[in-house]
Amino acid sequence: MTTPTHDHIVRSYDTELARLTGELVTMGEMAASQLDAAMDALDKRDSLAAQRVVEKDDLLDAQEDRISEDVLRLLALRQPMARDLREVLAALRIASDIERIGDYAANVAKRSMTLNLSAPVPLATGLPALADVAGEMLHKVLAAYRNRDAESAHRVWKRDTELDTLYTGLFRELLTYMLEDPHSITACTHLLFIAKNIERIGDHATNIAENVWFVAHAEVLPEKRARHDVPAGPQPVNDGSFGDG
Amino acid sequence: MNDLASTAAVGPRVAASHAGARTKVAVRDLHFHYDGTHALKGIDMEVPEKQVTAIIGPSGCGKSTLLRVFNRIYAIYPKQRATGKVLLDGEDILDPAYSLNRLRSKVGMVFQKPVPFPMTIFDNVAYGIRHHEKLSKAEMRSRVEQALRRAALWDEVKDKLKHSALGLSGGQQQRLCIARCIALRPQVLLLDEPTSALDPIATGRIEQLIEELKRDYTIVIVTHNMQQAARVSDLTAFMYLGEMIEFGDTEKIFTKPDKQQTEDYISGRFG
Repeated sequence: MTTPTHDHIVRSYDTELARLTGELVTMGEMAASQLDAAMDALDKRDSLAAQRVVEKDDLLDAQEDRISEDVLRLLALRQPMARDLREVLAALRIASDIERIGDYAANVAKRSMTLNLSAPVPLATGLPALADVAGEMLHKVLAAYRNRDAESAHRVWKRDTELDTLYTGLFRELLTYMLEDPHSITACTHLLFIAKNIERIGDHATNIAENVWFVAHAEVLPEKRARHDVPAGPQPVNDGSFGDG
Repeated sequence: MNDLASTAAVGPRVAASHAGARTKVAVRDLHFHYDGTHALKGIDMEVPEKQVTAIIGPSGCGKSTLLRVFNRIYAIYPKQRATGKVLLDGEDILDPAYSLNRLRSKVGMVFQKPVPFPMTIFDNVAYGIRHHEKLSKAEMRSRVEQALRRAALWDEVKDKLKHSALGLSGGQQQRLCIARCIALRPQVLLLDEPTSALDPIATGRIEQLIEELKRDYTIVIVTHNMQQAARVSDLTAFMYLGEMIEFGDTEKIFTKPDKQQTEDYISGRFG
């Protein structure tokens, strides 16, 4: 593991790298507050608030474009080497993960607007818990990125299992409701998609954690992600194809 | 020319690795002093055959001195003394019994500034050959053509071989110097900042040439341009204050070097 012991001789290079980090952290915080706002809109059945979440997604896309331009400029003008090169490469990947997180938050908001068109259903009990864990993972991985703290990124990475378990539980819960009352199928299906979107946010937070590790260690995380599917009966599809991706 | 086919069969991936290639030049605990300066402090390195080894490091780190030891032109340094061993195919070239003539015919050197002799293009290339061998006119013509072709200069000069070399552009002059060097059929080519006086296009031509020449020659290049070292070399040595800090596969040195000092230098943080 290497940690820079000096600033660059050309100080504006350091300024540009620091700005890149700052832009990513800003983008990450935007995505995290999008998730919070979408969950809040869902809970309060506030379609106007949900609409604002959907519209704000454009800001995240614009921020990703800005970061791509910065990365391109750094590569072309500074020719980064070693850790600097990993920093720049990771920034590009992390921006793309955050952009996806923003998309999923917007999808949650869209689904909540659809839910508001029919009679209220009690939220599945596991849903807010799922969103809490995903939101916490996102906040922690952004802090880990800001501090270049590979160990705490690794701790976030390990929590993906917890999220998967919660999601599997939620899937069963919603399935039970649907079996009990076929009238709830429409609403429960929307809730299931919402749950899947949140679970995917956790996957992208995990990707970010892997990039923080890569920047610090110059190698991919040696552990492999565990897969947590339920052993028998109807199973949630965990291949990422299910959801508003 | 020493024909060792054993390394010829390795693929590009393997060839890019130090391991597995035959050692052409082995440096053992090399110290070099001149005029009260301890310029090289216990250098150990193995230069693999038919690969490009780059030596990088800040000014005064000893990289040019090391290159100069490889063909013993260090005699230009006042009060100099070299200890340790530099083994070329197993023979110590620092041993006074190793004749300079023999050494220079095996180890050629190209300098930062192209220095064509004030004579025709043809004679520039033929000059060195005449010192070492007696050739018939036809043989000489064919040898000169061969060298100019290998240096990727033939097509540009074939119709003006009797013109003065001083009329060539800087890039052409540098390729002429490379032709003059390889006309002697050396085994090792030492390039000391060969493109620092050239424009980017001429630099690109020399870099392309280096890639072609490594099929037949062992090349050691000293360069201030780290991107150039990354582009042209298979192995890179990083030197600082007369010491070899790190030596390894170029890809590793420029992506994840083992030493913090190397990382700081290649990423422009040295301070």
